Amino acid sequence: MGIRWQHIALWIAFIVVMLALPEFVSKGTLRTIIFANFLAIFAISWDVLSGRTGYISFGHPFLIGIGAYTSAILSYRFGFPVAASIPLAVVATMIGGTLFFLPALRIRGSYFALVTLAFMELMYQLVQVIRPDLTGGTRGMSGIETITRGAVNNYYLSFSLMVIIALAMWLVMKTRLGTALSAIGMNEESVRGSGLDTTKLKLAAFMIAAFIAGLGGAFYVHYLGSIAPRALFDINFLFTIIVAALIGGASTIIGPMIGAFFLTFLLEYLRPVLPGAERYFIYGGIALILYMYQPKGIYEVAKQGWGRLRAVRAGAGP
Amino acid sequence: MSQIIIQGLLLSGLYALIAVGFTLIFSIGRVLNLAYGAYLMIGGYVYYHFTQVLGLPQIAGILMAAIFGCVIGILKYRLIVKTLKGDHVAVEISTLILAVVIQAGIVLVFNDSSKILHPIVPGVWRIGGATVTFNILTAALASWAILIGLYLFVRNTHIGRAMQAVSMDVKGAAISGVDPDRINLITWGISGALGAVAGVFFASYTQLSPSMWVAPLIIAVAVVIVGGIGSIIGSLIVAHIIGFMEIISTTLIAAELRGVFTMLLIIGVLVMRPRGLFGREEL
Amino acid sequence: MSYPLELKDVVKRFGGLTATNHMSFNVENGESLGLIGPNGAGKTTIFSLIMGEHRQTAGEILCNGEDISALPTYARIGRGVCRTYQIPRPFAEMDVLENIRLGLMPNSIWQMLTRNPDRYKEIELALSVGFSENDLNRHPAELSMGDLRKLELARTLATDPSIMLLDEVFAGLTAGEIAQIADLINKKREAGMTLIIVSHDLRSLEPLIDRAIAMNHGSIVAEGSFAKVMADPDVRASYLGGE
Repeated sequence: MGIRWQHIALWIAFIVVMLALPEFVSKGTLRTIIFANFLAIFAISWDVLSGRTGYISFGHPFLIGIGAYTSAILSYRFGFPVAASIPLAVVATMIGGTLFFLPALRIRGSYFALVTLAFMELMYQLVQVIRPDLTGGTRGMSGIETITRGAVNNYYLSFSLMVIIALAMWLVMKTRLGTALSAIGMNEESVRGSGLDTTKLKLAAFMIAAFIAGLGGAFYVHYLGSIAPRALFDINFLFTIIVAALIGGASTIIGPMIGAFFLTFLLEYLRPVLPGAERYFIYGGIALILYMYQPKGIYEVAKQGWGRLRAVRAGAGP
Repeated sequence: MSQIIIQGLLLSGLYALIAVGFTLIFSIGRVLNLAYGAYLMIGGYVYYHFTQVLGLPQIAGILMAAIFGCVIGILKYRLIVKTLKGDHVAVEISTLILAVVIQAGIVLVFNDSSKILHPIVPGVWRIGGATVTFNILTAALASWAILIGLYLFVRNTHIGRAMQAVSMDVKGAAISGVDPDRINLITWGISGALGAVAGVFFASYTQLSPSMWVAPLIIAVAVVIVGGIGSIIGSLIVAHIIGFMEIISTTLIAAELRGVFTMLLIIGVLVMRPRGLFGREEL
Repeated sequence: MSYPLELKDVVKRFGGLTATNHMSFNVENGESLGLIGPNGAGKTTIFSLIMGEHRQTAGEILCNGEDISALPTYARIGRGVCRTYQIPRPFAEMDVLENIRLGLMPNSIWQMLTRNPDRYKEIELALSVGFSENDLNRHPAELSMGDLRKLELARTLATDPSIMLLDEVFAGLTAGEIAQIADLINKKREAGMTLIIVSHDLRSLEPLIDRAIAMNHGSIVAEGSFAKVMADPDVRASYLGGE
């Protein structure tokens, strides 16, 4: 599990290219990339919990929503500075993550997915009814303080956030903790049979996932400047997060990032062809076919392709 | 009070019908079909198209809905479930994606504004202080008729018994000469048809919209999971608990909270009793 | 005096089925005990109860005099008890060394994060159960049944047990593989490991055990030396399917 120089070289090349990007592309494309950055953060969070441990979360917007709403309410209604509201939002999300975690103590597989789906729907309905003076009810809130202005600044902000999270997760998942979490996804009983407390491990995974979701959600709401329940606690949003992680390649860090960029740009390029919501039809269709024929995702396809290429070259060489 | 009891009974009948198609698939394949809600949506829209756009009689509309549901159920089994060879997580995720694709397809064909169905049977009936639309009464009666019919079918026909056998033990059933693949196919077809018909009634009770599939999916899930897998009585009881809770919260507390108790019930029961209220510990 | 493992009047019911019916027995330090009986006699259930995968309905399970009935599985493993399964359960997407790594992991998230895996120890364990150096990076899908059993033994041994429960270790193996595994078990026995072995392969089991317990319908039918147990008419009847 050593960190090889190729890894570091690739990370550096990636960061350099992305930092130089605003010089070469339009503001519109930058906005698309900003969305992709946030989607990648959410997909990484989903992957830590579901891609690794196999506890499929159908309620991730619940966690993101806690982060987003907490920070929005604190800054918009109570005048907290963003520097205070975001950390508090992260803490609140981690508490929410514990709620998520309780059912995972006893149930798994399909049942767990359903409970989390119920959590998301519950949150959607409660946000509109309970204290609409705080949450803004069905309409949500707008005019929330933004951290910075302009596409370029926001691009740098969201990109840095994504890279920091991705790098940190990459390092954590390279340790034995990452191995143990993946092992839970393969066979939880055997992890227990190896003398490990799976409850503790799962709690760690849930807390990490909630931390990232809360952080991403809070930054996202301060980028958008507005929030509405239907946009957040929505099956389409959930679907985009899950599909990004899966299509890119679950149980990796680079996978959810690839998936997020792939999906965002697919959606963007379909826009001129199919202007309405219909493009979800094509987009979902492509996602479904990709997922069914390569459940390990684009990253795996690329890896195999690369391996074959090297084999061919090695065969052709002296 | 009588209003609550009558409305509750009628709604519960509808919910039992919504859940039954979902239960069939779950007990036979142990697969959660997350696109189940989409059958209801397709049923509702097909009915709408044939009766309110083309002007066919209502019974033809219901029949068309059932046929469409059946075909889609069969296609789904053939193209997705079989391809993924019973990998549950993969089936769940694929069916979730499929549901989103179907939702987008509906928007593509019918646009995304919601539509009101004309009542299947118009008219209102007043008893005591309660008003009951003939529409929901028909829905409830039809539910009961379908549920009883299905029960007799599973009990008394050869295919029905084969379905029971597969749900208990796939290998055992295969050894006794039942083709599990064929039974699965038939079950998916029946489930699709039931879902689509339930969708017609559900849509006439609420309204047609491209996002209407989530609510009935959650109801179906709640009924099946909370009732305990494979427990028919459990499912019926839970359908009534949910139906009555909704009516009570709508009339006495606030209409917006109608779904909240269903979610709390799912979360609460799954956390406290993972095998459902009426399920038992398996070996 | 306390035993490394002792069951006192243990009962386990699944709904209406009594899988374990007032079982009491113990093993001594360094002893090797064979658990025999027909299919469905409740042998595997005993293992699950000892490991805490199922909780007994009544009775006590003691480890070195301490009641471990309320402890979770990992804590029991921490006290030196571990088991293998009839059907090996490897981590499918990990190679041999990574599988063993799981067994070696400390039960502390902080240590998992801060310390690197001990590669030397992983290799040593893999070689000790009979893997060759070429096998170390193979995945379970490429391994034979015998290799999978070895892998499971290695992963279990990695938890540093003093008592091992071995469930049908010879099932599905070739004669050569049986000899290898038997050899391995004998080595552990000589090293002082306490063993409880479940096997249908009585001929392979006989030389590996000091004492046998025969069960049927969740109860002990006979107990004593292997020869004595096998001579018991009730044991013979239970194997022939008589009631």
